[in-house]
Amino acid sequence: MTYTILHGLMYPFLFLSIYFQVLLLTSFFENKKKIKKEEEYEIKNYPTVTVAVPCWNEEKTLASTIDSLLALDYPKDKLSIIIVDDGSKDRTLAIAEIYAYNHPEQIKVLSKENGGKHTAVNLALEHSTSDLFGCLDADSSVEINTLKIMVSYFDVDKNVMSVTPCIHIRNPRTLIQRLQATEYLINIFVRKAYGQLDSILVAPGSFSIFRKEVFEIVGNYRKAHNTEDFEITLRMHKAHLKVMNSHKALVYTVGPATAKGFFYQHLRWARGFLENSLNYRELFFKKEYGNFGMFTLPVAFIFIFYGLYATVFSVYIISSQLIISINRWVTVGFHPQMPIFDLFYFNTTAMSFIVMVMFSMLLLVLYIGNTLSDDKQQFYFNFPIFFILYPLFAPLFFGRAVIDTFFKRRNEWVLQDTKK
Amino acid sequence: MIDTKKYIFTFVITSAIFATAFFTSTFFSNKRIESVKSIQDNIAIDILSSETQFSLLGEVPCSNVGESSLSPELSTLGDKLSRTEADRGTEDKDVIYLKKYYSLLQIKDYLLSKKLANKCGIAKKPIFIIYFYSNQGDCPDCEKEGYVLTRLREIHPDLRIYSFDYNLDLTAIDSMKTIYRVKSSLPALVIEDKTYIGFKTVEELEKLLPDTLKVATTTVSKKAIIKQNTPKVIVNGTTTVATTTKVVN
Repeated sequence: MTYTILHGLMYPFLFLSIYFQVLLLTSFFENKKKIKKEEEYEIKNYPTVTVAVPCWNEEKTLASTIDSLLALDYPKDKLSIIIVDDGSKDRTLAIAEIYAYNHPEQIKVLSKENGGKHTAVNLALEHSTSDLFGCLDADSSVEINTLKIMVSYFDVDKNVMSVTPCIHIRNPRTLIQRLQATEYLINIFVRKAYGQLDSILVAPGSFSIFRKEVFEIVGNYRKAHNTEDFEITLRMHKAHLKVMNSHKALVYTVGPATAKGFFYQHLRWARGFLENSLNYRELFFKKEYGNFGMFTLPVAFIFIFYGLYATVFSVYIISSQLIISINRWVTVGFHPQMPIFDLFYFNTTAMSFIVMVMFSMLLLVLYIGNTLSDDKQQFYFNFPIFFILYPLFAPLFFGRAVIDTFFKRRNEWVLQDTKK
Repeated sequence: MIDTKKYIFTFVITSAIFATAFFTSTFFSNKRIESVKSIQDNIAIDILSSETQFSLLGEVPCSNVGESSLSPELSTLGDKLSRTEADRGTEDKDVIYLKKYYSLLQIKDYLLSKKLANKCGIAKKPIFIIYFYSNQGDCPDCEKEGYVLTRLREIHPDLRIYSFDYNLDLTAIDSMKTIYRVKSSLPALVIEDKTYIGFKTVEELEKLLPDTLKVATTTVSKKAIIKQNTPKVIVNGTTTVATTTKVVN
């Protein structure tokens, strides 16, 4: 009886999941020509751009981040860099000042008491007079043509208010980083498909570029449960501002190397998503907010609970089988036997076919994600790690995020996440 | 702006995927039933053939009644029927029909084996366990008893185990229950025409088995062996009991 109920409840969620994948894939394929055309965009008038680099104890990675910005193929007189030291206790400020000394025409350094990333970016905003403004985390780097590609979107379409890049994990080495490499590949496709639906969920902190008037319309960054990038995207959708994605604009970021770092990073994202979604619940199921309000945001919200339910269902199935095995062992002892191969015993339930379709579509998503950007990865090597490890982690950080949100717990754990 | 057509189109595709999945699943499920039915038909022919052969025994010596006398596919059938029951549920009418058919085949096999044993002497006499179980949640020990019988069958390949769902609405099973005085207390085991109620461990059952089985098991390697299958025990969707070996002189 319990199994019948749990099993039956899985089908609406599976339907929604397939629906989601089909919608994204059809949106992508019907706009394939348009997406190809984006790759031919060119800039006629170069706008001025300010890139803020908020830093908090980033002495190890700051230099490579600034080097990549200085190497950008963009008119030097149109690009300024503001490094904001957010009360670092290491040599971050000293490194920043060396760069400012060597490139006084392009680099400005600001220093302040520690107040969180949003305060650092807001300080840079106050000092920026450029047409476009972006932010690059101090552990990320950009390709030489990244900015040029992104700016072209603003030049071609005056309604574009923000452009998001294509983010990869830089040199994934540990198992956890390989897991994230696949996760980011999926996001590359999802962000592109969301772009076709005018419903990009997050303009990520790593090098999303905004027209300066965006901040005049929606205001500056807010703390927003340590996910200021998601919150400002919500405000942009609320103000009906257009967000696009540039799949060829490559940005590399460092993923947490350990399971603990990965857990706390994703816990912060999940908690921030839940809290901010609830704060902006007026966007849910409102036609005036288009696909974002009617589909993308509600579905992303539902998927958190779906993921948790799918975990409960999987744990129920696995533990039921385990109890049977233990019961057998306790009764007659352990006597292993060779499994018999017979097509008769293959799992041919409807759920198994549906899961196979979902899996196939996910592989297609990965393939598209991998071919969209110019940086092709050995995803076939990394994706088994993703499929094994992600289902183990996701219930932990989503479950904890739901509990913390429900009980309004403070985010003490945020200090564990080095990328806050 | 929302493109309603796109959402409807997506709904149609998703529904088509779901419909295909359910159709494919039903197709394979029906194929499974057909496969089980086909095995049952083969067994029915085998048993009918054996019965016919047995009728001729008066004119044929025992040495001519070898491996063909008992159905070799009954074991496979039990296993596959168990899987079908697990997939489609105990209330499925096809499953109930197949279980009834299977129970009848077991009874016929049991009767034929007994006749053969009586006719052809001790060396060929198999040892039987008749097992009554319930999978309606009213027999907590039935699942464990199934594991015990499977293990027992592995230890004693000569053992012949026939399993019957106590709740199956079949007059032949009712007759078996009456003959062996099996009431609703389950699991119930019949060994050498004696009925035992309640859970029995492997060790307890071994003590109840006649010595001839132990002798046959220990001397099995010294004699010619003909592979032959016996029925499986189906308990709560779990199949038990593997192939048997028949010792012949």
